Amino acid sequence: MKYTLCAALMLASWGAWANMAAQAQRAQVAGIDLITDRTNVKDVVVIVGVLPAGDAMAESGNIAIPTLTGMMLDRGTDSLDKFAIAAELENVGAEISFSVATQSLKDNAKCLKKDLPLVLGLIASELRRPALQAAEFDKAKQQFIGALQGSLQNTESRAEEAFGRAVFPEEHPNRPHPVADFLTAAKAATLDEVKAFHAKYYGPAHMTLVLVGDVPVAEAKGEIAKDFAGWSGGQDYIRPATAAVARGPREVPVVLNDKPSVSVILGQATGLRYRDPGALALRVGTAVLGRGFTGRLMGTVRDKEGLTYNISAGLAEDSIADGSWDISASFAPELLNRGIAATRRELDKWWSDGVTETELAEHKQGIIGSYLVSLSTTGGVAGAIVTALQRGYDLNWLDQYPDAVNALTRDQVNAAIKTHLDPKTMVLVEAGSLGAAGH
Amino acid sequence: MSPQVRISTAFAACLMAAVAGVYPRPACAAAVVPGFSYVKSAGGIDEYRLDSNGLTVLLAPDHSAPVVTFQVTYQVGSRNEVTGTTGATHILEHLMFKGSEGYNDPKGNSVKQFLERVGGQFNANTSVDRTTYFATVGRENLEGYIAIEADRMRNLWLHEADRQSEMTVVRNEYERGKNDPDNVLLEEVTAAAYVALPYHHPTIGWRSDIEHVPIAKLHDFYDTFYWPNNATVSVIGDIDPAAALNLVKKYYGVYPHSPQPIPGMYTEEPPQTGARRVVIKRPGELGTVVIAHKVPNARDADQPALEMLDAILSSGKNARLYRALVDKGIALNAGSATDLHRDLSLHTVYAALAPGATHMQAEKALLTEIDRIKTGGVTAAEVARVKQQFIAADAYKRDGTAAVAGEINEWIAVGDWTLYVTFPQKVEQVTPADVQRVAKKYFDEDQSTTGWFVPVQQAEKGS
Repeated sequence: MKYTLCAALMLASWGAWANMAAQAQRAQVAGIDLITDRTNVKDVVVIVGVLPAGDAMAESGNIAIPTLTGMMLDRGTDSLDKFAIAAELENVGAEISFSVATQSLKDNAKCLKKDLPLVLGLIASELRRPALQAAEFDKAKQQFIGALQGSLQNTESRAEEAFGRAVFPEEHPNRPHPVADFLTAAKAATLDEVKAFHAKYYGPAHMTLVLVGDVPVAEAKGEIAKDFAGWSGGQDYIRPATAAVARGPREVPVVLNDKPSVSVILGQATGLRYRDPGALALRVGTAVLGRGFTGRLMGTVRDKEGLTYNISAGLAEDSIADGSWDISASFAPELLNRGIAATRRELDKWWSDGVTETELAEHKQGIIGSYLVSLSTTGGVAGAIVTALQRGYDLNWLDQYPDAVNALTRDQVNAAIKTHLDPKTMVLVEAGSLGAAGH
Repeated sequence: MSPQVRISTAFAACLMAAVAGVYPRPACAAAVVPGFSYVKSAGGIDEYRLDSNGLTVLLAPDHSAPVVTFQVTYQVGSRNEVTGTTGATHILEHLMFKGSEGYNDPKGNSVKQFLERVGGQFNANTSVDRTTYFATVGRENLEGYIAIEADRMRNLWLHEADRQSEMTVVRNEYERGKNDPDNVLLEEVTAAAYVALPYHHPTIGWRSDIEHVPIAKLHDFYDTFYWPNNATVSVIGDIDPAAALNLVKKYYGVYPHSPQPIPGMYTEEPPQTGARRVVIKRPGELGTVVIAHKVPNARDADQPALEMLDAILSSGKNARLYRALVDKGIALNAGSATDLHRDLSLHTVYAALAPGATHMQAEKALLTEIDRIKTGGVTAAEVARVKQQFIAADAYKRDGTAAVAGEINEWIAVGDWTLYVTFPQKVEQVTPADVQRVAKKYFDEDQSTTGWFVPVQQAEKGS
């Protein structure tokens, strides 16, 4: 009762400020879903754009092409070479970067208010009319190959890859390709494949553009209408019709030499999207197990037993398709077996007995408070908007989210844990120097 | 225009009034609270001293969101450690989360319980020159956090059982760092560059010291350095200055000045008499080259020119290292940076090798670019471009109270928080001749330490 009251007071205290839906404006401009949110920061505008052109869109084609296409965007347009683009940005201290994720291409940009027309124009040119020249393509390939080679020695990324491949079946958009396959594909990739991918997937049809900060809204809309006029095309995200859950007890070792810390992931596919019934309850219940320093895992496996520097639990990759649930941790090879045993003990106890009323109330309040604090920067606001829209909500969700968390009951949370998770069938991945652990 | 926008504009006007330099009077009306002496102002930040114990307080009101970042910076880092206690500052930072007399897990009100319950974004970190504890919370939770932070300044639990369990936690943090060969390379280059200064050893410490430092030594460390006159409290965000000072006095005013003077660090680095080299061989895929030179402390008048030089070498695609190494296929990425310290700082240029490139190629290319600046200088256009980047960066860093606090913290650590305001102004005054002069002055081959990470291939098993 005490914490429910605290959460209610917190919401009341912040309500007038964090009235997100009322502050933000949403409109279709040049076929793009445009959201503008004018905040109190002075002179700074943050821009985040997303469109469905991620790794999963390679489908049965060359798996390196989505990333290579994203890497080509800032390497020249039909009117500017890469150094000219960079000079335009550097001369005013503005930044534009592109990254490719599982399902989306993401554009992050930041500039002073006065430079917004310039930056919007460059973003439009880079997305619409990249030069896609052979010499730059060869350089992009070499850099991608180098980055992939570097990741071969990263215990965390190797563990994530093995975990994703173990829990998601073939054809699932969240099933990652092995680094080795990416290397082979990158070496074989052609510029024609990049051009074809760009033509098919880059367009306004499913693109979201978010501008947050000291935004001159009318001017920005006018610029976007002009810069993106006449652009067409674009494909939707991949949304599997039925959730695919691969189950079965498995252990996956990934042996890497001379790694004094082993990365461990224990988890499963959930079959849940973020908006599915029970998903939010599972998320909040998972916070009790593995959120921050006061979750049960940190409280016992780290604080009491000293077995790890970091251990946490969470849900991932569930905004668009059904995702996964996992505990991730690191252990010294000689403490690996004890660490995993302690982790399983806490997992089993949490799954069997559920969370207590007090734990639930405390973590609900903490989740709400953390969310509100995250909205105090332009980057935090932009991220929250993009994430909400990708999950299929409208802007009202930004204000409804605290109430939705606060309304969850212990029975709902414990039922979600039991319904959607099964510790007996979870996959265990260990990546690092496993010999010292007796493996 | 919303009420928040009007308030924000007022704050901006306050900033603009103060932005030209460090003033003996506050930019906006100074808070008058008995027990505090006003010291100075810069960039919308006011400094006060708590008369009874010497605690320094920095206030930066910003009403753009109903949040506050509160941080306390202790002037103690790994520079204050000696053989046998390396890493002690960092272990003590961990033990600061184990509870204090008034606030602890059994009572259900420990720092982590309180901050996670209210959704605070919080942590702590240790560097060579300072230890910092910080949180960003809703304004309604500021007092609760100050109370806890103040209690652990002098009433910390330091139990051997906690040291034992936390030792393995810290050791795993150390081990995680050792997973990354580039991290190991930088540690070894730093250790070779500094012979006498305690910057020689990594802030996390040597493994044997992490494992064996006695709890009594940690007690000594705590009782030597954790005093109000060795700390700076920063309160940034949606605050009323007078109310914030009263809260600080309420919770920190109960402590006296340290009974003994805070010990200084008097070791000086002897002159380097020739180039030094380090080679790391470990399993890996691609090599790395680092070239380091010792440069003056962070407060030195040459640092703005070095900052300009770093940006010309490494900021953006038109930077010299991008054009000479990345675009030519020698490096995946290359950069130039200065690790700013209270004493001698360390400047590094580095290259992460592209597939097929050799260490010698990368080292030669890095040295060629340094020589080009020494012999040919930099252009006015390059300097103008970088200055614009600094102007924009100055606006960006005011987006969010935590970002402001984080940057002020680093200037507190090196001994002059007003550099947060004046350093960008000094960078704007740098000329092309200044950049060439500092390159000639500090980038002497005999004063260099060069490190190579050379990957070795070993057969691996498993999936």
